[in-house]
Parts: sequence; C-alpha cells; structure tokens
Amino acid sequence: MHWFYFREAWRSFMHHRGLAYTAMFSITAALALSALFALLAHNARVALELVGDRREMVVYLNDTVTPSQRDALIGRLQQLYGNVTYVSKEQAWKEFSEQVGDPALLEAVDANPQPASLRIKLRPELLNYTAMETAAHQVSQFPEVEDVRYGGDWVRRLDELKNGLVRAAVMVGALVALAVVFVLYNTIRLTVLARRPQVEIMSRLGASDRFIAAPFVIEAMLEALLAGMFALALVFGFQQAMAAQIGHVLFLPWTWAVMFLGAVLMLGWLASMLALTRVLRSVGA
Amino acid sequence: MITFEHVTKRYGERLALDSVSWHMDEGECVVFLGPSGAGKTSLLRLITHETRPSSGTVTVGTFRSGRVSRSQRALLRRTIGIIYEDFRLLSDRTVFENVALAVRIMGLFANEDVVPRVLSALEQVGLDGKLDAFPGELSGGEKQRTAIARAIVNRPAVVLADEPTGALEQRSADDVLALLQSTHREGSALVLVTTDPGVAHGMGGRILTLQDGKIAGGETHMPRPTRMAVVSGGE
Repeated sequence: MHWFYFREAWRSFMHHRGLAYTAMFSITAALALSALFALLAHNARVALELVGDRREMVVYLNDTVTPSQRDALIGRLQQLYGNVTYVSKEQAWKEFSEQVGDPALLEAVDANPQPASLRIKLRPELLNYTAMETAAHQVSQFPEVEDVRYGGDWVRRLDELKNGLVRAAVMVGALVALAVVFVLYNTIRLTVLARRPQVEIMSRLGASDRFIAAPFVIEAMLEALLAGMFALALVFGFQQAMAAQIGHVLFLPWTWAVMFLGAVLMLGWLASMLALTRVLRSVGA
Repeated sequence: MITFEHVTKRYGERLALDSVSWHMDEGECVVFLGPSGAGKTSLLRLITHETRPSSGTVTVGTFRSGRVSRSQRALLRRTIGIIYEDFRLLSDRTVFENVALAVRIMGLFANEDVVPRVLSALEQVGLDGKLDAFPGELSGGEKQRTAIARAIVNRPAVVLADEPTGALEQRSADDVLALLQSTHREGSALVLVTTDPGVAHGMGGRILTLQDGKIAGGETHMPRPTRMAVVSGGE
C-alpha cells in the first residue's frame, strides 16, 4: 500500500481531531476494562498454576505387593502418568508421627497401620479434574493397588474457578469487542459523512471504493491501535501500583500484549469495513 | 463514443428527460443549450453513470447503462474529465494536490509519474505560478482553471463541462472557453451544457437545444471560432 493512503489517513485524522479523540477516549476506556480483566485472568492463572503444580495422586499399595511387582508398577506409572516417588510403610509412619506429634496417641497404636504408597506428580496435561479422575480409575485397576486418592472435590473446585475466570474474561472481551466495533463504526461513518463532499468528488473523478476507503480504514486502525496502547499503559500503571501495594502482581506477558494489540487492530479493520461498505454506497454515488 | 437511445429519466413524478436520442463520435464537440430545468445536468449525470435511465440506453465507449458495476463505473469515470459550475475542488488541498488527486486515482503514485503530468496541465491552464495556493485563495476563474487542469490531466477521451462559465465574470469566462476549445483541438471530445446562447455559439461544434427534457428542433453546426481569448496567469 502506497504512503499516499497513510498521508491521507493522517490528514483525515488531524482534520477531525475532536471526533477522533472522543472515539479514542471511549475505546481506551473499553479496552482498559478488557485489559484489566486479562490482567486479573493472567494473575489468577499464574496463581492457580502454582497451586496446581502441587497436585499429586497418592496410590496406596496392597501389603502383599512384592518389591519386584512394586518396581514394575512404578515403571508403568512413570511411563503413563508422571514422576513417581515410593513411600514405604516406615516412611509413611514417620510422616504420620510427625504430623500427630503426641507420643501418647501414637503409643496407643499397636502396629504400623500405614500402607506403602506411590506419590505421582502428574504431567501438566493431566492436571485437571477430568483427566485426573480417568487416571485414578485406570490406576485403581492394577491388582497391586489398594486405593487411589487425588483430592477430587478440591481439584474440581479449582478447575471450576479457573474455567469461571476464563469465561468471565471471554465474556468481557466479547462485550468490549462489540463496544469497540460500535464506537469505531459510528466514528468512521461520521468521518465519512463529514467528508462527504470530498468522497463525492473522488467518486466522480473515478476513484475506486478501495481508493476512497483505504485512508478511512487506516484511520480507524490507527485510532484503535493508539487506544489499545493507551489502555495497556493504563493497566501497566495499575499493575505497578498494585505490585507496590501487595506485591507479586504480574503485568501481561508480552505475547498477550501483542495479541491484544493485534485483536484491537482487527476490530478497527472490521468496524471500518462494515461502516464503509454501507456509507460509501450512499455517499459515493 | 456516446450514444443515447430513447433515454427517459424521471425523478419521482418529475420528467427530466423524455425519450432523448443522440450520438457523438470521438473528438466531436456537442453543446447542449437550454434553460434551467431542461434536463441538461441529468444528461451529464447519465453519461457519468451517477444515475440510471428510467428507460432507454446510455452507451459511453464500451460501457452500457444497466450493466455497469461500481468498479466498472469507476473505470468509466477515469476516461472522462468533468468540470462543474461550482468547481468542486477540495478546499483543504493546494492547486497542485487537487490536480494530482486525479492522477493518483489512476493508480499512479510515483513523483516521476505525477509531477510532470500535473505541472504540464497547470502550465496549460496558466496556473503554474499558483501550485501551492489553496482554492480559498483563488479567484473564480482560477478555480475553474484548476478544475479544467484536473479534468484534462489524464488526457481523457471526453471532457464534460457543466455550465463551466456560469459562476464567472466575462473575462474569466472567455479564458475558460478558450481552454476548453484548446482541449478539444488536442483531441478530447467535448460535451458542454449551458444556458447561455453566447457560450453555445462561441464554442463551435454541434449545438442541440434541450427544452422540457426533449431535444427541440434540429441541430445547429457552428464553425470553430478563429479568435481565442488569451489565458492569463491571474485576473
């Protein structure tokens, strides 16, 4: 695309500064809300991943399992589900004793009731309720296994919370996208109508729709991009303030920021194309 | 080049053109003379395909009314240079930029394509000293000469002039007519509409009289005038 179109877009932008600034202010507000939700979702995701990393599955073994059967099982589980740590009956009793703490209570127990177990640190792709439930069911089918525990209810709640946050972010994102398209659609429509005589002259000189539309599309994308950058700057300021207050608040990863600006540019393009398709038919007779 | 076959144009109840038929060949000059409301502007709008005939057929070159898409219509208009009574210049652009716009619309953006064409057209109309002036800084005659430069810069097959001297005082009007005659002599066909019999007879070429949407009477053929008004750089 020739620089001429960019110069024309800049000319139009400067010519209708008031309209452009008003649109950018509205879009910045909407996008800042969206970016704020993205920031919350990102920080929640990071926090949940930290918690999720601690998820593990405990496989209790039968007392009759021989060391060779146990080692074979460890090899199988390691192959299928993740890193396996063996906890013997003695280690389990030691851990239990440390947790209970009161020797009087421990003396009341005649023999070591703790079974030997295998603790599986699951692979990342298995760290969700459905996968864990399936894995637990499969593991329980091994004859060496007495019982399997993985805190199903807790895992389910954690997943629900994560999914709820994602859904909220998507809903807010969709609403903000609609608002941005609406604002830009009307801004470009008003800009074209304000420049109606110019558009009519160009049309009568033989300008194609693309020739007439290109500067307006660039203008809309420029306004959207600037608004997106302002919104990110606002959210960055918010993140810095929060990090100073409560610590450990992360800004959006740069890939998210780039995707955010890319999406904003796409919205600018979409809104201007929708507006121009309609308005050029009525103006550029 | 341009053919109207039984063209009728209605705007609601109002009849602008009533079964008009005429034809012009390449390089010809046709002047439509008639009072306001006779249908002259409708005729030009039909040539540029700004509007479609209510019935009948308008053919301009290879473009035929009724079968022209938006992109084809744009192509058609690039073969036509058009001049309006009210100039229709872009007020926020200089004389140079106004004329250059017509070149860029042709898809030519490089300076080596645009600048020589624009300078040549502006020199032809005597405005090479006003390149950086804005339309608001020009007299009526200079504005119309800018519009003529814009119309001829792409060397169109046909130039349409809608009452080109209507808003000008006599000396400027003479200059503009001389420029149009010169454009015609260089090969462009010319269609001029006017309410002024003096302009019609001064232009030379074929005169068709429009009256109440119809071509009235026969045709008058005027010889090309021998005296040309001198185009000056200012007024």
